[in-house]
Amino acid sequence: MSIASRSKGRKKINWAPYLLILPSLVYLVLFFGWPMVQGLILAVREEGALLTLRSKAELNSSIAGQLPRGIQVGILNRQANPIPPEDLDQSNLPTEGWFQIRGQDTEGQTIEGWTPEQRIRVRELDESGAPVTGSVRLILASDADPLTRIYTEANEESEVVGRMEARTPVEILDQATIEVWFLISGEHENKTIEGWVPSRYIRALSDGTQGRIEQGDKSQFTTRYIQRMVNDRFFWPALRTTLLLVVLIIPAQFVLAIIMALVIQADLKGGGIFLYIFAIALGVSDLAVGILWYSIFTQSGYLNSILQGLGLIDSPIIYLSANTRYWIIIAIWLAEVWRATALVMVIVVAGMQAISREVLEAAEVFGATLWQRIRYVILPLLRPSLQVALILRTILAFQVFAVVIVLSGGDIMTVLANETYRQYYDQRNFNVAAAYASFILLLSMITSFFYLRAVRTQEEVAE
Amino acid sequence: MTGAADVKSKVVQVSPEVKAIHRRMLRRQRLTRAFTYLVGILISLWVLIPILFIASMALTTPAEVRSYPKSILPFIPLSTETIAFFLGSKGILPGMRNSIVVALITLTLSILIAAPAGYAISRFLFRGRDLFRLSILAVRAFPIVILSIPLAVVFLRVGIFDSVYSLALMHTALALPTTILVLSSVFSSIPYELEEAAMVFGCSPFQAFRHVVLPLVMPGIAASAIFTFVLSWNEVFAATILTIENRTLPAQVLVTLNQSSEPYQFAGGFFMMIPALIFIFFIRRYLFNMWGQIAK
Repeated sequence: MSIASRSKGRKKINWAPYLLILPSLVYLVLFFGWPMVQGLILAVREEGALLTLRSKAELNSSIAGQLPRGIQVGILNRQANPIPPEDLDQSNLPTEGWFQIRGQDTEGQTIEGWTPEQRIRVRELDESGAPVTGSVRLILASDADPLTRIYTEANEESEVVGRMEARTPVEILDQATIEVWFLISGEHENKTIEGWVPSRYIRALSDGTQGRIEQGDKSQFTTRYIQRMVNDRFFWPALRTTLLLVVLIIPAQFVLAIIMALVIQADLKGGGIFLYIFAIALGVSDLAVGILWYSIFTQSGYLNSILQGLGLIDSPIIYLSANTRYWIIIAIWLAEVWRATALVMVIVVAGMQAISREVLEAAEVFGATLWQRIRYVILPLLRPSLQVALILRTILAFQVFAVVIVLSGGDIMTVLANETYRQYYDQRNFNVAAAYASFILLLSMITSFFYLRAVRTQEEVAE
Repeated sequence: MTGAADVKSKVVQVSPEVKAIHRRMLRRQRLTRAFTYLVGILISLWVLIPILFIASMALTTPAEVRSYPKSILPFIPLSTETIAFFLGSKGILPGMRNSIVVALITLTLSILIAAPAGYAISRFLFRGRDLFRLSILAVRAFPIVILSIPLAVVFLRVGIFDSVYSLALMHTALALPTTILVLSSVFSSIPYELEEAAMVFGCSPFQAFRHVVLPLVMPGIAASAIFTFVLSWNEVFAATILTIENRTLPAQVLVTLNQSSEPYQFAGGFFMMIPALIFIFFIRRYLFNMWGQIAK
């Protein structure tokens, strides 16, 4: 590797390499680091778990306390408040529109004031679509006040300026959107807390004096999703199967990969074709491999066809069913060994190419057998490559997904990645899915750490 | 001079015992060679026979696919009926188009972003270079599964969920670490002296890169691009989670797997393997460049 800047002056920092790696750094932070952190947060944080109660019906008034989502509260009072402009475009907010109008009151005087939108029938709009004139609606309920109250502010608590009769023509001067706030009181941890909250967080019962906190405005650390994951009836089977597969798959892959690498490194005439054939599986998706092995193990598949052709069985055996789980494990094992050994093989070959020929020839000259050469020369020198391959393969094996879905239908036999998918896709439970994903991350990190540690202690012992 | 003559005379005057040993060694070598061929052929059969099975399923009539026992001889009767049935199924052609679009965007983005970083790693010694390399390696080793869920939530919120572009952004993140490492090894294989010479003759650094380095690294970059294409074409998990209407081919096949017939599944399985069969052939020389780099 040629290092250009070594010969240049050391005083000035050369910014060129930093500029060159900047795009990839930014990209990886944006689409790798950040989602990774978000995933962990999703697993342990409950959005909207707490609702903040205010001392007054204003967002920036002092905090009176917090109540958790889901509890029953009493609604003591209500007040209308203008909505902060940044919240206006939020859909499904329970809002009320108010008009500022001018017209004659019952005493014949022209008054100006505010009244709820539904009290006015709009007659005329200007070119921008804003209402210009209208008339007061008729109140139909027999026991209600037949007159419409006009307030000084867009708020039913404010002073009444006057009353208007139905069908009074009015000019519409202005409009405002307001949200109702509730003064609620609820009990939490043996303390009664009272305060104002926007009504959007409360589902009021029909009598209007009781309600339930539907949604909070603050998130909270929670172990609920992790508990849900651990208590899920598929969690332990999934974990067991995943670990079993890792234990079964990894050793077989390494033995096969080392044999493949030895064949390729033997410098045979026409050995290039071996390289191509061995590497094919590197480019095949796990889904396709799953289907491939399904075509062999399915009831009318190739395995049964061959066995029947040889006269070993009379009728097809059912392999992939709930009663023959071990066959499913065998099929997944074969499929994964078939597919992913190529990756290990390539890493091992690259490692072997770094071993100098002299060392191998020396071993051969001194009469070492093939096995001795592998055991005492090649394997020790390959250790760094094997370590990396081991970490990569184990982490990938924790994520085995499509092969399992195809060969087991995703029900009979399940793995952690499949549960992540199921929680996300079928249950629509993002948080529990994130908990599963975080769990896979944790497992991967523990094993990587374990591998690195194990190799290092071996080296220390050797010294 | 005399030493060489000595050796020559020694070779001429080998005793019969030495000759015998020599012959025995040669025979042993030939035996080892034959054994290696045998092992190679056995492993090749282990790789190829399953492919042959699925290929013969895909290239026959649906009736033959459903029949039992199947004939062990492949491609009888040879027919494009099954694969045509698969390609004509609902969602397959759009899925294929989506897959290709996602893969093309992914390879373009990842090469554009990774090439400068790969060049920087191979050509400059800068503070933090090892840290950068190491973190790229670490990123490569992180589980992909954990990325998909939060990205899906974010894409939903931002309103770019279920689009080929957002999936391509995700696939680029997956491909980027490998691409950076591969390209850095590709650049390293071009001696810096060539660039220097060009600059001595009056090229600017950019011109030297454009006219000297770029033509030489093109094959390596192409190999890396092909590999990225295959990676994106094959990716199932993120594709299934991030798309609903605009599914890629693997996602479409996976989601409809339970309700589909065996001819559809087998033809789909084989069809998804075709790019691998073709592309691995072209980039096989670069494989060690690519994955060997990870082990360094």
